[in-house]
Amino acid sequence: MRLTLNQRLGLAAVALGALAVFADVDRGPVLAFHEKDLLATIQQEADHVAPSELAAWIIEGRRDYRLLDLRDEKAYGEYHVPTAESVPIEALRDAVLLPNEKVVLYSDGGIHAAQAWMLLRARGHRAAYTLRGGLDAWKEAVLFPAAPADPRAVAVATFFGGAPRGGASGPAPALQAPALPKVEAAPPPRAGAAPARRKKEGC
Amino acid sequence: MSAPFFKYGLFGEETSLIVAFAIGIGFGFFLERAGFGSARKLVSQFYLDDLAVFKVMFTAIVTAMLGVTYLAWLGWLDLSLVYKTPTYWVAQLVGGLVLGAGFVVGGYCPGTSVAAAATGRLDGLSYLLGVGAGTLLFAGAFPAIKGLYYAGEMGVQTLPGVLHLPYGLVVFAVVLMAVGGFAGATWVEHRRAATHEEE
Amino acid sequence: MATVAQPLEVARDTAAPRTRTGKAYMNPYLAGVGLGLVLLAAFVVMGRGLGASGAFSAAVAWGLSFVAPAYVRSNEYLGPYLDGGAHPLKAWLVFEVVGVFTGALLSGLLAHRVRRTVEKGPRISSRGRLAFAFAGGGLMAIGADLARGCTSGQALSGGAVLNLGSWIFMMCVFGGAYLVAPLLRRQWR
Repeated sequence: MRLTLNQRLGLAAVALGALAVFADVDRGPVLAFHEKDLLATIQQEADHVAPSELAAWIIEGRRDYRLLDLRDEKAYGEYHVPTAESVPIEALRDAVLLPNEKVVLYSDGGIHAAQAWMLLRARGHRAAYTLRGGLDAWKEAVLFPAAPADPRAVAVATFFGGAPRGGASGPAPALQAPALPKVEAAPPPRAGAAPARRKKEGC
Repeated sequence: MSAPFFKYGLFGEETSLIVAFAIGIGFGFFLERAGFGSARKLVSQFYLDDLAVFKVMFTAIVTAMLGVTYLAWLGWLDLSLVYKTPTYWVAQLVGGLVLGAGFVVGGYCPGTSVAAAATGRLDGLSYLLGVGAGTLLFAGAFPAIKGLYYAGEMGVQTLPGVLHLPYGLVVFAVVLMAVGGFAGATWVEHRRAATHEEE
Repeated sequence: MATVAQPLEVARDTAAPRTRTGKAYMNPYLAGVGLGLVLLAAFVVMGRGLGASGAFSAAVAWGLSFVAPAYVRSNEYLGPYLDGGAHPLKAWLVFEVVGVFTGALLSGLLAHRVRRTVEKGPRISSRGRLAFAFAGGGLMAIGADLARGCTSGQALSGGAVLNLGSWIFMMCVFGGAYLVAPLLRRQWR
């Protein structure tokens, strides 16, 4: 049976449409792991920032990066590094991150942070970093530096509401809220950007 | 492959304007190819003589829709990064009716009027001037019609989302509806042609 | 009417009104596939669809800003086009619409279909037609501004990504046109 061109087009459309029933369109992008680049970054230790570095950034009031807390919201509520946003790792895909945004990731020990780092790098975020040692290291190095601590470390610790540990390894002293310049809690960045871009993407 | 390329930072704003021009050329080319630079051909749709508007429009929608679906399925296109206008169903309902009326009164829609003007249609030019006037009127009256403009706000909604159906199923349904519509359109055109011959 | 050798595509497109000069139009389904691929390219390259009406709003904002810049800035609808200091015409849609003009001209030239003319039915004068065209354009602008797009932007592009508002809009465009068509027979038939 000879089909006209139009009939063939119609048939092709129906066939493609039928197959499309099984489509999963939310899979997201296929990620690219550039092994050589990643290994080089890891080797050069350009994949993390030290707790003391992060502490300095926060004290300086730098706003050129985003700090993501990958733990669940309950843990975030109990304590989080000042200026951190709560992005539980399960919700990492939903977080709106621009590819050239500087992002610092932390979790308790660092495993989730490392995993998230891999995913972000594969997505094309070249400026992703983990907090070396995670929250555990933050507590040990910044909040509760071992005594005897130099005056600078003590000042930093006090700034964040901590205090140097005594000689004995007792329980960590209670934390007071650090006196930071008022930073609005986890600003929804894209929501603010949406109206301004309204005219740019509309028809 | 990470697409949409622009949203993955493959190129900047300046280049995107060149992309816009190139895409526009393709758009205008096929509009004219289809005969949509002619008001009489466009309007024939609404007198049921020539249903090319329906055929072209829905073929284009089905083509792009299938393309997007398959590319997203393969993981080559991040569908969540493709812009969708938020739904304001009341404003869009009224706007659609008004635009449809304007279509028959004016003989064009904005894209086709540009194609018409390009190919020498003076009525296309007049239409474009009317568009300017209408926009001014709208802007001037905006405070009064603001309520209507924002009426029926629903945020970004998709058909599968609202119908609680799998995306692919809705895609298939649209294809079936379109192909069924094409068969129906061909039948209607033949009937009209036959009755005209009998006269 | 003199018979003209018909290309294969048109033989199937039985109801197409013949063009008085130049080649016959392309098979609508093939043109639709072409258009669809252009739209797909826009999605893949830019992450957005096509459009037209937004370019005109930008142009109006730009033009009016020479005469009444303060008013434009304060106008809630036109103001955003002047926001941020960027030139309102340096916008994606504006460049795209210029492309539409160019592409249509190219296609028209290739098919010998460029001709200074007024498209109208036999029962109306050219002047009347031009007046209707102007009025239609005005109506359309109001409709498109309300709906945040026109047939290319909302219906075509939004339709392809199954956007709810776009489909509602599209249905109403056809509905509104069919409702009004009988009243305007004088212009077209």
